Amino acid sequence: MNDQAKSSEPIVVIHDVYKEFYRDKITIPVLMGLNLRVQPGEFLAFMGPSGSGKSTLLNMVAGLDKPTSGRVTVCGTDLGQSSEGELAKWRSRHVGFIFQLYNLIPVLTAFENVELPLTLTQLSRRERDEHVRAALEVVGLTDRMDHYPRQLSGGQEQRVSIARAIATDPTLIVADEPTGDLDAKSGAEILDLLVRLNEEFDKTIMMVTHDPHAAERAQRILHLEKGVLVDDIPTTGTGARR
Amino acid sequence: MRHWKYIWRNVTRNKVRTILTVLSVGFSLALLTVLLGFMVMQGIWSTEAKKYNRLVVMNSMGFAGRVPISYVEEVRQTKGVKSAVQYAWYGGEYKVEKYPFAQFGTDPLHVFEVWDEFKIDPQQLKNWQANRQGCVVDRRLAEKRGWKIGERIPLKGTYFPYNLDLELVGIFDTPQAIDSLWFHWDYLNEGLKQSSSRATEHAGTIFAKTESVAVLPAVIKSIDERYASSDNPTRSQTEAAFAQMFADMLGGMQTKILFLGLAVFFALTLVSANAMAMAMRERTTEIAVLKAIGFSRARVLGIVLGESCAISMLGGVFGIGLGCVFLNLLHDLSPQFFQFTFQEVLGPWIAYMTLIAVGLGLVSGIVPAILAAQLSVVNGLRRLV
Repeated sequence: MNDQAKSSEPIVVIHDVYKEFYRDKITIPVLMGLNLRVQPGEFLAFMGPSGSGKSTLLNMVAGLDKPTSGRVTVCGTDLGQSSEGELAKWRSRHVGFIFQLYNLIPVLTAFENVELPLTLTQLSRRERDEHVRAALEVVGLTDRMDHYPRQLSGGQEQRVSIARAIATDPTLIVADEPTGDLDAKSGAEILDLLVRLNEEFDKTIMMVTHDPHAAERAQRILHLEKGVLVDDIPTTGTGARR
Repeated sequence: MRHWKYIWRNVTRNKVRTILTVLSVGFSLALLTVLLGFMVMQGIWSTEAKKYNRLVVMNSMGFAGRVPISYVEEVRQTKGVKSAVQYAWYGGEYKVEKYPFAQFGTDPLHVFEVWDEFKIDPQQLKNWQANRQGCVVDRRLAEKRGWKIGERIPLKGTYFPYNLDLELVGIFDTPQAIDSLWFHWDYLNEGLKQSSSRATEHAGTIFAKTESVAVLPAVIKSIDERYASSDNPTRSQTEAAFAQMFADMLGGMQTKILFLGLAVFFALTLVSANAMAMAMRERTTEIAVLKAIGFSRARVLGIVLGESCAISMLGGVFGIGLGCVFLNLLHDLSPQFFQFTFQEVLGPWIAYMTLIAVGLGLVSGIVPAILAAQLSVVNGLRRLV
């Protein structure tokens, strides 16, 4: 945990959160009375078997889903009380998304993909241009900015996806198995990049992964089982600095 | 406006589908453009006809009834009438062409008094008056056919059992192309007498020029009252009303064709909507990503509608352009029905056609757009986050 994380108010507060899904009149409980606090600048990894609720939890923190009961407060906003329009605006300001399958827009170049979330801001074209170049610089892809996703390797696509996630300088980055579709070498590069974002740029990162080695790179590993947080293990920190 | 690039890339993403959609929209709009343009032409023709204070006398039973030739002189003598002339439709075949151009038997002494806005060289008019087998045509018809003075123009009778062997002796100028040939009514009448036809001494219709617009109602009343008790009662009307009658006669057919066109258009709207829906289904994850990174419902709605409107506008520009080309082709082929070029009838109706194209885009895009806007991000991503 870096210094900022130790000294500030929590960026994420999850208080007694329950989440249930309804399918064919059957109630399926997913999260059951979950409590969690995340400090700014922390790098968390969520692990657990499929259906344990880790992704549902991440959806709520990212403002994509609402709890059945309980409270999710992120960056000072009670997400359960916000409308869909407010949440969309909130996400564009506070959250960067990294998906397992990158989910870049195939008809846009790397530059344009990174620019996409910036088009929602009031930035001028020139300012957007500067932000995009800076983000691509961070992920080391300034030389591929005019390439379309189909012209990039999986690792490069994921790096563009990371550039898109950080272009608006969000407070929180949520990553869903960011290395799940990559070979070991590319996966390691992506994890290095996430660690760098956490350490150099103080980004709070919440990552879902099935890979214990990937989880080791985080500062805390949280295990969920059947909607309950069963373990919250601080790592030695060496993982993040490997 | 920041998303135009993205919208355009989506338009061109699946080129085959976009081209097929644009073509289907385009051809249906071309059809509508021709129909609407034709109706506008009829309206303008009717308006134009009001300028020339002319009236048309026909049998009260319509074109099927007789108008005795003796009526022409009587109409000419009617108070308020400047001149009158018989105007008998011949409808002959020219070489192998069944409906080549309009042909009318008339009186060379008076016809240019009735159509005094038509201009002919006085010497050519004299030549025509002196030559019973002579004929005159409007300049555009002569140019189109490459006819020169002295040209022999044989016409084979279809409605009348008598063939005409005409010589072109004059070319006249008209404000609008009429694609018409005028010949001596006497020549036809004599020929019909020789072939013992019952159609002799029949004027067809009578066109009369009055001294002013103001006297038209009185003259019409006077003429129709005169023949009311005769064997051949008449129905007279202004040339504008006559033109409108033609438009109305065609109007019934036009309305049916217009409904047919609208039905085709509606079907193609559904085709277009289906194409948009397919495109959106293929992009479910992409839309979910847009919404995840902060695109609001309204913005997603706008992007999808923008795409469908862009496609329909492409179809609209293509279709309206094609329709205008067709209108000009039809004007060249048959100016008696398509009296004007599209440039001459250019007006708000073209803007309506453009609005129809935009409307098509909105209608075909609205359902996919709403579905996209309402898409759950979580479901759209399939995987959670």
